[in-house]
Amino acid sequence: MRPVAPPEVTAERPLVRPDGGRTARTGVRSGDVLMVLLALCIAAYFVQPDWFSAPGVQAWGTVFAAICLQALPFLVLGVLVSAAVSLVPASFFERALPRSAVLAVPVAGAAGAVLPGCECASVPVAGGLVRRGVAPAAALAFLLSAPAINPVVVIATVVAFPDEPLMAVARFAASLLVAVVVGWVWAAFGRGDWLRLPQRAADSGGRSRGRQFLDVAQHDFVHAGGFLVLGGVAAATLNVLVPRAWLDAVAGDPVLAVLVLAALAVVLSICSEADAFVAASLTSFSLTSRLVFLVVGPVVDLKLIALQSGTFGPRFALRFAPVTFVVAVGCALLAAWILLGGR
Amino acid sequence: MERLVTHLLLVLLGGTVLHVSLTDAYLAYVQPGFRPLLVLAGAALLLSGTVGFVLDRPRVSPVGRHASQARDHDHDHQHGHVPWVSWLLVLPVAVLLMVAPPALGVFTVERQSQPLAAATPDQVPEAVPAEELQLVRSMSMLEYGQWALADDPGPLTTSTVRLQGFVVPRGDDGWYLSRIRINCCAADAVPVSVVVDGNRQGVAPGEWVEVVGTWSPPAAHPSDGYPEPVIEARSVTPIPAPVNPYES
Repeated sequence: MRPVAPPEVTAERPLVRPDGGRTARTGVRSGDVLMVLLALCIAAYFVQPDWFSAPGVQAWGTVFAAICLQALPFLVLGVLVSAAVSLVPASFFERALPRSAVLAVPVAGAAGAVLPGCECASVPVAGGLVRRGVAPAAALAFLLSAPAINPVVVIATVVAFPDEPLMAVARFAASLLVAVVVGWVWAAFGRGDWLRLPQRAADSGGRSRGRQFLDVAQHDFVHAGGFLVLGGVAAATLNVLVPRAWLDAVAGDPVLAVLVLAALAVVLSICSEADAFVAASLTSFSLTSRLVFLVVGPVVDLKLIALQSGTFGPRFALRFAPVTFVVAVGCALLAAWILLGGR
Repeated sequence: MERLVTHLLLVLLGGTVLHVSLTDAYLAYVQPGFRPLLVLAGAALLLSGTVGFVLDRPRVSPVGRHASQARDHDHDHQHGHVPWVSWLLVLPVAVLLMVAPPALGVFTVERQSQPLAAATPDQVPEAVPAEELQLVRSMSMLEYGQWALADDPGPLTTSTVRLQGFVVPRGDDGWYLSRIRINCCAADAVPVSVVVDGNRQGVAPGEWVEVVGTWSPPAAHPSDGYPEPVIEARSVTPIPAPVNPYES
């Protein structure tokens, strides 16, 4: 496993440097460190090829490449929509959303149903909305609901649970509830200075609209894409390290099962369009714990936390993720109790 | 300078994604339906990087003076730099082009195996007409595994079945024929294994074989004790690895 060590080391960097390379000088230096690590990796590839043919390393590489590849089209879509949002006049959103945050949150949450993508698409779009002057609470409700309640995900859930049609209903209801509750919590307790949106080149103005679109999209992509890779490194590492036997050992205990599947949803970072099939395959677990898995996964996972710290800043992500996690587990348990009879 | 780095990263990544998705290499990572999305995304990245290069190419004409002024303007605001995290985009490029990790196999089966759900009575197919009983029936590993575990496996007990998968060792008693199922990408991989009662004929773990055989009652997992589907092998034939290694 030694060749994968360099990316793990870099995974700690956001904690060490929470400003995420705000200044050009240190940014270049961090980039240099990274390039040295990559160069070491490449050197090791030629000096010690055996390391790279170990089964665990190869499985890590496959899962890592898979996470990056399957998220990429959705990230590109999200970045393009976000760049398009940046060209929409701010007055449009003022008219489309209710003035009061209490009302805007559920409207924005329900609007999440129209973005047919996974969580990688919704983060840049939500960032674009905040920049366009949409109340953060409403943008965050959209961020949380979009990956969980869009038609693609709902259909995938119905297909994955053919004998339990209420599973999709429970997932939809619980996910929308999470989005609205967290949005309201933000409206009540959130502080604007926790959000730090990265500056964009296009803000300097004086360029054609086409050029502005390209600059915004490129800048957002290389930024969010880097954080996606960071999340992919963490998720692939845990995906390969945690054997399935550990999971099945706790499936029989109702409380542990819920906690373990909630943690697993965070760790595995499976795309919200595929997680229903994984939940369906966890046959030794209760329906309640599998619903928790489906509600937590699209709103909190390693890949998403990395993307959020890239888009909204680490100070935001470190507060937002734990609150969302607790609310998501609570809403899922409530929905399971009402709709699935606590099975 | 920094803009050029951004364009370079986009061209590298877009080119790699196009390379992986236009060959069959992408099948080791994502399900086949993803190809158009990957081609579109790769082309979009490549195009945006290339267009960026053309727009930002160094110029010395009077127009170029204007362009360099624009860049200085960016520099004043410290907007043009590349965040350190963007350099990480080199990592998937390096993994895909240099390591090119193969599809998941024996390692994943051995670590991630889990009990298989038995088919419910209504999922077991109707009885096969007598004249077809002589035919060999090709089945997916999941289909066979679920039916083989059903309380009443129905027509399976009288059919001859053909399965394809790779070899995984299993304690002292028999060996596994395994296949990995993915729904979206290799991160949601779920292995499906069938115990083969019969000689492995010296085939190494990870090699692909076709097993033709008949149903046999489920066996207990060597350490965890849950029931595992079994096939009694009539023939074991090595085959080349399929283009799409996963079931989906």
